[in-house]
Amino acid sequence: MKVDGRPAPESASILDAVLALGIHLPHLCKDDNLPPIGACRTCLVEADGRVVAACHTPAAGVSEVLTNSGRVVRLRREVLRLTSRMHGPEPDVAGGPRSGEIWAAYEEHGLERPTFPRRIRDGFDATSPFFEFEEQACILCARCVTACQQLQHIGAIGIAGTATAARVTPGAGATFAGSICTACGSCVAACPTHALRPKPMRDPARAGRYRRQGNGTEDG
Amino acid sequence: MERKTVSTCPFCGVGCGIVVHTRDDRITWVDDDPANPSSRGMLCVKGRFGIPFVQHPDRLTTPLVRRDGELQPASWDEALDLVAERLLDYRGAFGSFASAKATNEDAFVQQKFVRLVMGTNNIDHCTRLCHSPSVEAMLVQLGSGATSNSYIDYEEASCLVVVGCDPDSNHPVIASRMRKAVDDHGTKLVVVNPKRIDLASRADVFLQPAPGTDVALFNGMARAILDEGLEDRGFIAARTEGFEAWRAVVMERTVEEYAQACGVDPHALRLAARLYARPPARRGLPADERPGSCLAWGMGITQHTHGTDNAHALINLALLAGQLGRPGCGISPLRGQNNVQGCGDAGCIPDSLPGYQPYRDDVVARFEEAWHAGIPREPGIKATDMVERIATGEIRAMYIVGENPLLSEPNLAHAGDLFRRLDFLVVQDLFLHETAELADVVLPACSFAEKDGTFTNSERRVQRVRQAVPRVGQSRADWEIICDLARRMAPHVGVDPGQFAYRSAADVFAEMARLTPQLRGISYERLEREGGIQWPCPSPDHPGTRYLYAQSFPRGLGKFVPVRQAAPAAELPDADYPLILNTGRVLYHWHGGTLTRRVQALLDQVSEVPVTIHPGEAERFGIADGDEVVVRSRRGRLTGRAIVTDAVRAGSVFVPFVKLRESAANFLTNNAYDEPSRIPEYKVCAVRVEKKRPRDTALTGGQPTASRDR
Repeated sequence: MKVDGRPAPESASILDAVLALGIHLPHLCKDDNLPPIGACRTCLVEADGRVVAACHTPAAGVSEVLTNSGRVVRLRREVLRLTSRMHGPEPDVAGGPRSGEIWAAYEEHGLERPTFPRRIRDGFDATSPFFEFEEQACILCARCVTACQQLQHIGAIGIAGTATAARVTPGAGATFAGSICTACGSCVAACPTHALRPKPMRDPARAGRYRRQGNGTEDG
Repeated sequence: MERKTVSTCPFCGVGCGIVVHTRDDRITWVDDDPANPSSRGMLCVKGRFGIPFVQHPDRLTTPLVRRDGELQPASWDEALDLVAERLLDYRGAFGSFASAKATNEDAFVQQKFVRLVMGTNNIDHCTRLCHSPSVEAMLVQLGSGATSNSYIDYEEASCLVVVGCDPDSNHPVIASRMRKAVDDHGTKLVVVNPKRIDLASRADVFLQPAPGTDVALFNGMARAILDEGLEDRGFIAARTEGFEAWRAVVMERTVEEYAQACGVDPHALRLAARLYARPPARRGLPADERPGSCLAWGMGITQHTHGTDNAHALINLALLAGQLGRPGCGISPLRGQNNVQGCGDAGCIPDSLPGYQPYRDDVVARFEEAWHAGIPREPGIKATDMVERIATGEIRAMYIVGENPLLSEPNLAHAGDLFRRLDFLVVQDLFLHETAELADVVLPACSFAEKDGTFTNSERRVQRVRQAVPRVGQSRADWEIICDLARRMAPHVGVDPGQFAYRSAADVFAEMARLTPQLRGISYERLEREGGIQWPCPSPDHPGTRYLYAQSFPRGLGKFVPVRQAAPAAELPDADYPLILNTGRVLYHWHGGTLTRRVQALLDQVSEVPVTIHPGEAERFGIADGDEVVVRSRRGRLTGRAIVTDAVRAGSVFVPFVKLRESAANFLTNNAYDEPSRIPEYKVCAVRVEKKRPRDTALTGGQPTASRDR
């Protein structure tokens, strides 16, 4: 198989081959160590003339892959424009650990600001002491769902509803604090936008010292 | 400036790979390391969010020396000169605790100092309080005290038997790998625990025995295996000895009698035995491979007055079923602290030299030749005995690194009395904890994030720890402090100070690897290139070892050891103290809490000691969910917050031993010991529970606060 004219190493999926060659391709719903979901369609490439999502298309049997043809770049840009309808237009400096990925994808595809009207979703869950979830930044890529279920095998988080009513939730009507979530943070680490992000680490220099409260336990 | 440092998590024995993100030398985020073969991109809440303790303002920043009864700041020279001068007087009456949270390099230098400069083998560490019965039993029966399998074996097993441990709270990433086995491969799961732990929700068989009846339970499983002819006769004949004598003891009672003794259903017990001995093949198992079973256990097995018997009963089962020495099977005492394996490997145990080498003439001679001085050949005193022997004057000075015995010892009021009687106490640690407050000299040590070194995890994988942030205050790495002290003392005791003139952690590791056969092939250069390596790794071209005992046991044949059920515990319920206390941990806090109660988010999650009580008992004692309660034993009391749930057995109470709001479970627990291992019976004692009255509040000065209901 050749990718953009370069011979590619043997790989399971087209995406693996593309990344192994050091070619940058957005893959907002695909975690390096998790199976592909195929939800975001931001890794579209041309494989022997067909447009496919690179993450879950096997490399076997494919001879020619183009990541940079005019057609596929245009299609990816349209997908990213649709994605940006779900996602705020301004980069958030206090973003999640991997939130750079989506901004890099916009920039590579020449998207400065969304051309579609924003869809209003304003859920905000700050009940966990460790992280918070801001729904207006969520692109429904389901990386968090996969990390919770297929990496940690906990299943505390899912997508409820369909189509434009779909939303990420830790159980119907639940908050993270009220769910079975153990706060392992795999979802936070996986989120490619800043929808799930760690709460700012309280500056230890200003944190209260641990204080002893009474001495009542030693009296037997 | 932004930096990323690949390192190893400092909390539990799983040894997950972490990437520490820093900006301008402050930690901003801790990420998982997908390339780490032990954790495969997973972390738990403590590893991901629990690291801020490193830069907490409570950190000790200068040495402290007691002047006029008060600990006061001092220079390093002043503090170390004082320690050197005083310790020279106590060479015959000295004991030292090493830290299973420190690096292998720290541990190796400390035991070298104790043996060479202090002339004693009185060095030990926390394994005495968690897995000494497992180690004792494994040494007798197999000849080695390490976990035999790797974590990958949990995912490749056809059956997992999880006994007396709660991986979801204590080893969360191992729990994830076990859940993966069940969910993805259809691996059968047997859970044995007096408490219904989270993992029990996925179990094919859940046995909830009465506390302290483990020998009856495992002899019952053995009897069931024998009754149904499921034993591995080929393995027994070729690889073991003592089978007939052991069999005669097991056959003394029927499965029904054993089941009754531990209060479980005999059919469930038989099913558990069948699944362990001959599990149905998991999905994806190659046709030519025999289905394997992994046996994992924790302190529910060990912390009893018959802890070693319990461990024997388990290892007998593994030998009977031949579930050792292949992929997908093995025995795993789940280790508590991050480097408890390495601390033992490095020689911080009283009864052997680094690498578990005995005090045999040829071995001692090899160390003496390398170190150019004599070392004692008499085994030293074990940790729990060192504390007791303060009373007899046999121990008069102690040097404690990275441990807080006045939180971790059983019967804390008693332990406190003993520590106050010491002539001279040195504590080297991150925080001024309960033990440090009693010290004559306190020395500020570095945390894992401020130094280089290695940790060895539960699957025997030696992994790098790398400095991510600058040192806090004047703190120094444990090995550097001890070398500095040793160089001051060496000339007075006929030791070459050059023995403590290491240039780097790598330098220390090189010496340890040279003197320790199972580490000989490992070097920093290899760790840098290949990542973590599992010992035994005898030569530089050896890839490391995934599982032990493929061909033989270190002692030759595996040995069956007959054991009978003893009295369940030294102290059982009566009219005054009608409930059984079981202790353990809570996911959001690490051990006694010295580190995690300094992480505000973890404290927000669990801010008071949770007291889990059965609904029947709660009703009997007038306690409602969320009430503030007082738990009393014959030795002490604590206050906590009631959680009413049938996850605990009727008649029992569960309290984690973390100290929050000045309450610690070990004020309650008993200093009765298991004889062979000298582990205290933390897991069972008699208590009563009352709703807290206003008078109690006045007494402790505690302020009631809202707690999270879970």
